[in-house]
Amino acid sequence: MKLEILLAVVFGGSLLTYLLGKISKRARDILAILVLLAATAGIASLYGRSSTAILCTGFLDFPLVLRIHPFAWIFALTIAVVGLCAVIFSWHYIRKKGRTDFFYFMMLLVISSMIGIVLSGDFLSFYIFWEIMSWSTFLLISYNREEAIAAGMKYIVMSVAGSLVMLVGMISLYTQTGTLVFEGITRNLNSASSGYLQFILILFFVAFGIKNAIWPLHVWLPPAHSEAPSPFSSVLSGILIKIGTFGFILLIYGIVQVQVFVNLGHALFNVRNLLLLLGAVTILLPTFIALLQDDAKRLLAWSTVAQAGYMILGIAYGTSESLSGGTLHFFNHALFKSLLFMVVGAVEFRTNGVRDLNSLGGLIKKMPVTFAAGLIGVCGLIGVPLTNGFVSKWLIYHTLIVNHSPFLAFVALLGTWGTILYSYKLIHHIFLGQLPRKYEQLNAAPVSMKVPMIFLSLAVVVFGVLPGLPLHVINLSEIGFGMEPLAINMWGVVTGSGTIQMLNIATALTLGGIVLWLFFRMGRKNTRADQLDNYAAGAPVPADRYQYSVKFYDPLTSMIAPYLKDTADNFYSALARGIRNVGNGIRRIYTGDVGNYVMYIILFLAILIFIQLYWKVW
Amino acid sequence: MVIVLVLQILFVTLLSCLVGLFLIGLSRKMTARIHWRYGPPLSQPFIDIVKWFSQTAVSHGKLFDAGMIFSLTGSVVVVLFLPFGGICPLRGSGGLLVILYLMLIAPLGIALSAGEAANPYASIGVSRKLQLAFGYELSLLMILLSLMTYYRTVSIVDIVEAQIQSGWSLVQLPLVVSGLAYLLIMPAIMGIRPFEMIQAPQEISSGPMAEYGGKFLAFATLQHALNIYIGLSLFVNLFLGGGSNAGYFLIKLLLAFMVFQVIHAVWPRFRIEQAVRCLWRWPALLAFIGLIIVWVTTS
Amino acid sequence: MVNPVLFIVVPLGLAFAIPLLKYISKKIIRFVPALAFLFNLIFALRLIPVVMDHQVHVQIGGFIPPLGINLVAGPVGMLFVVLIALVGFLVSIYAFHPIKEKDEDRYHILYMLQLTGATGVVLTGDIFNLFVFFEILCLASYSLVAYLGNRAGIESAVKYLIQGSLGSGLILIGIGLLYGQFGTLNMADIAGRIHSVQSISVYVPLVLFITGFGVEAALFPLNAWLPDAHSSAPSTISAVLSGIAIEVGLYAVLRVVFTLFGITHMMGLFLLLGVLTLLIGELCAFSQDNIKRMLAFSSIGQIGLLVFAFSLASTLGIAGGFFQLISHTLGKALLFLAAGYMIAHTGSMEIASFQGMGKRMPFTSLAFTIGAFSMVGLPPFMGFPGKFMILKAALHDGQMLTLILLVFILIATVIEGAYFFRVVQVLYFAGEDLPDRERAPVAFSRFVPMFLFTGLIIVLGIYPSLITDLLDASALELLDRPDFIKSIIP
Repeated sequence: MKLEILLAVVFGGSLLTYLLGKISKRARDILAILVLLAATAGIASLYGRSSTAILCTGFLDFPLVLRIHPFAWIFALTIAVVGLCAVIFSWHYIRKKGRTDFFYFMMLLVISSMIGIVLSGDFLSFYIFWEIMSWSTFLLISYNREEAIAAGMKYIVMSVAGSLVMLVGMISLYTQTGTLVFEGITRNLNSASSGYLQFILILFFVAFGIKNAIWPLHVWLPPAHSEAPSPFSSVLSGILIKIGTFGFILLIYGIVQVQVFVNLGHALFNVRNLLLLLGAVTILLPTFIALLQDDAKRLLAWSTVAQAGYMILGIAYGTSESLSGGTLHFFNHALFKSLLFMVVGAVEFRTNGVRDLNSLGGLIKKMPVTFAAGLIGVCGLIGVPLTNGFVSKWLIYHTLIVNHSPFLAFVALLGTWGTILYSYKLIHHIFLGQLPRKYEQLNAAPVSMKVPMIFLSLAVVVFGVLPGLPLHVINLSEIGFGMEPLAINMWGVVTGSGTIQMLNIATALTLGGIVLWLFFRMGRKNTRADQLDNYAAGAPVPADRYQYSVKFYDPLTSMIAPYLKDTADNFYSALARGIRNVGNGIRRIYTGDVGNYVMYIILFLAILIFIQLYWKVW
Repeated sequence: MVIVLVLQILFVTLLSCLVGLFLIGLSRKMTARIHWRYGPPLSQPFIDIVKWFSQTAVSHGKLFDAGMIFSLTGSVVVVLFLPFGGICPLRGSGGLLVILYLMLIAPLGIALSAGEAANPYASIGVSRKLQLAFGYELSLLMILLSLMTYYRTVSIVDIVEAQIQSGWSLVQLPLVVSGLAYLLIMPAIMGIRPFEMIQAPQEISSGPMAEYGGKFLAFATLQHALNIYIGLSLFVNLFLGGGSNAGYFLIKLLLAFMVFQVIHAVWPRFRIEQAVRCLWRWPALLAFIGLIIVWVTTS
Repeated sequence: MVNPVLFIVVPLGLAFAIPLLKYISKKIIRFVPALAFLFNLIFALRLIPVVMDHQVHVQIGGFIPPLGINLVAGPVGMLFVVLIALVGFLVSIYAFHPIKEKDEDRYHILYMLQLTGATGVVLTGDIFNLFVFFEILCLASYSLVAYLGNRAGIESAVKYLIQGSLGSGLILIGIGLLYGQFGTLNMADIAGRIHSVQSISVYVPLVLFITGFGVEAALFPLNAWLPDAHSSAPSTISAVLSGIAIEVGLYAVLRVVFTLFGITHMMGLFLLLGVLTLLIGELCAFSQDNIKRMLAFSSIGQIGLLVFAFSLASTLGIAGGFFQLISHTLGKALLFLAAGYMIAHTGSMEIASFQGMGKRMPFTSLAFTIGAFSMVGLPPFMGFPGKFMILKAALHDGQMLTLILLVFILIATVIEGAYFFRVVQVLYFAGEDLPDRERAPVAFSRFVPMFLFTGLIIVLGIYPSLITDLLDASALELLDRPDFIKSIIP
């Protein structure tokens, strides 16, 4: 499929979906799914292709260029697939709510603009799609009203700040190199000084960092992810923030070139170390903060911030193994995090909007498929072997260890161990333990929710056992960046200092499991017991709330909580208050007394004349 | 080739189960003797396993069963990744990092299974287990990283071979601080006193085990046995030079176990917050210093 | 080719025909302004290709400059004429439905006079004539601000009058001083000889002009009349005041600074002034709860941005400034119309009272949203190319001062985003969700202008190249001073 046609299909499809919604709601839902199916098929058909297309020759005298190459391909495909899953998931989810046409329109617009971003071949089209994505996201985040309004506000203000900084960076690149087309910039940037490159990198880091939510630019993410409608939270967490990751890779590997990036500036104080440091902090702090959360979506949101830190570490480290790890982690995270948001969304849908972990429990009996999906998602998040998160994290750890950065590796590993704690909390509080009485009549998730969840769960497992599939594409993109590709096969990676071989692990685990299951079957048959038929130290089991979930990790959490203030958030809030106060102060200039106003005019005149008398400007 | 591999796998699995169960029996015997009691016979754990298997058990659901199997599978697979003397069936599959991750499966399985039991005692036990793990992993991760940095590999087999050539890690100068830290956290890794609050029979009715009976208890005990073996084996392989053959390796294992057993017999139990504080203070500090020393000396 | 005089004569004539037409039909007078500005729009558009090629001069009464009164229709002038005619036409459609029951004829007369004055200002080549047209514009504005006849309107009109008259007085003094020195009122003539006098006697008229025109152009600190006047005028008039009047004031400043005096070395001062105006406007707007005051302060901010862009004094900067000027005119007119329509429904100017408007007045809310997005500079709306061009010019300029000021511009833009997005959220997401039934039908006369403004904002946002040639020619006209002078006085 041609790139222009692809974009026309998705953007036209979004608008058409909106208009069709005025006629028939069902037809609209089907069309939305069809549009994304077409997009997925179209992108898939572009596999392995590298080509460019001119979208428009002169927008303000700049050509708008589209291009496809393996690196953009994997992002575009992930976007289309996760978007498709989220739209299918919306089928039932959104029906109860108002403004459904608007929801579908914005959802498709966000997805379309993201596809546009990854396919753009110059900074101007990149920026245009980027901004369309920003404002449509803003509208969708605010969709749930009440708390969501503040969340949307936080998002858009930071987003506008970020994109303005990017605009400055990009125009500055233009003045330096005379073009906005990526290839041209790369060609002409050789002569740029190291100081200038660092300046540009920092500008773009701010822009991409806000979207990617690296500390301390992350503050918009937790409220936005938790307040957005759940299908959109999947998109937000699964792919939208990864557009920032895309930007980082594009900038460091596609434009500045990694050899230049790694050797830039002072040996200790340089942009690479800054980014690595921020990546480490981004892993550590949000992981611990996630431990303290009692709202399912907010917990996942903080987890998303933390996981983004891994990608930053991988990308900024600058070896081909670390880039593979970072990119693969993007891909994996898109799958399992959107899956987890769907799981939480399904529970929220069936329980009429309950997200408070402490008031749920025992839902495994009512929603087994959702539970299984949640378990697989959480395993992927932790990186339990045989799920996809394992391989990507392994690559990141491995490159950090063999390249002599044990402290970064330590932070990354420790983050994973924190992940275990909050992941188990999520699963335990929602699905395990006692089923409260009020949920005894709960129905399982509707088919429209099960289908994407099952699909994504399968994907998490398949790519966990066969990491070679995505790694192959990533290798192609690394070759495109002029790097040494990783030695891979279908089952794993072979490096000089340690290999990973999923075939052995998978066989061992499956065979071991089967043997032990047979062994288990050999014992006496067991009887089923009800949840009220439990051991309670001799006392009768109280019905309904015989559950240990409030303050689940209490001694630990109350120990660490004092150190986990979100200082960045407090800082921005204080800044906003300060600006408001300054504004209120300045408004006093306009006193309402016309005498003062006349005085201002005279004073202005006087000052201008005074300037001449003193400095002789004329 | 394949037959050798299968035989190795069977040998290592069975022997590690036997060793683990034997160590449980030994532990009870030693504790009893230190407490001036006679204690059960060394064969008692084996007898228990057979007995439990023939009893009717109570199950709380599919996950209750599956979690247990999952957990034991995890432990068995970890065993296959650890060198047993000169034998390591799955040497080329990812090394220490994979072991670290596979070691997650066992507690995760138990946690899921215990969660399905819908018993707060079980949940409390799991919560404590995870907190404790978070406590000692802080140090353990740094210790493992200092090893991996020092030997420049992530493969445990390579580490053992390097030690056979140049002596135990515990007595290598840059690694000695890390080794000390490891000694301090070993009781926590093995779940023995003073870090026994996960089970705490008198307090939370054996925690995660509260709802287990019959073959579930048998599986849980096997898993516990393997867990003890894994903890010790990791320590022996990483710091005591592993073993050039199985016998030598087992002797080291036994000696290390008896040292920690003495502590287990005479110490009281920490509360969970005391445990985490304790683990985050001295062992973590030592491990951190160890990592810095290794980092500086190797760069 | 049409004679540029007609752009002034036709609306003026029709304006004075209104009292007569009133006796034929009371209804018919509503359509007169639309007719007049449609005429202007069509013929001005047809004239644009001509003026792109060469300037069109008209000598009133056949006297050759510098003697007679002359009209100069260059790219800049025609750009403004088209803009005035466009806004005038669309806003007059909005007034097909009476603003107020009584005195409808006066409204239309004053409205046409106001815009005729504006057209005259941008077309004339004579400084005194410029002043006269400027006065027509201002006087009509004063009266229109008070048109609703309520206390707030009259009070702010009087304040506006006092400040405006002070400004006019200063301008007149300036003209007098210049005439005393050069003995001519023709701008090109004065411009050609201005550098022959190197003294404070040239500088004083300059600052008098800047201050005088600056009052109308809403430069800080001369803009105190603006928030009051914009917020108490009828919404159509706010749209014109914000979209046309202050821009014409700015045009006058530009003419004076670039053409008449040919200043090149005081630009730092203007850059500073622009950024100051921008920051203060946006900061004040940020904490406003009254929608029209918020929009008014936003206009101040935008003027600051325009001043900054023009003060870069490069082709890029001026072209960008003109683009942003058009974008601001269309956007702000749209915003005032949409806000006014919503105010008419809720009866309150408090932003908080607009809750649920997205359901009740979906089209109006959409129009407001698009206007707001365009103001903030989001693609694919018109504000984006404008901001892009200005930033490009600023970075191209590359001086330290410009770069430092750029940081403040970015901060101001973020603040601007914050308060516009807040309103958008109130429109769509605040409060309880309303049932679909409560939808209010949108009147045709309201729908058409809002729809066309919205369409223009989107079309020009996607195809900015439609007007960039004209903008470049305009920038050249301002910068290439000798050429301008030579074309009038050979």
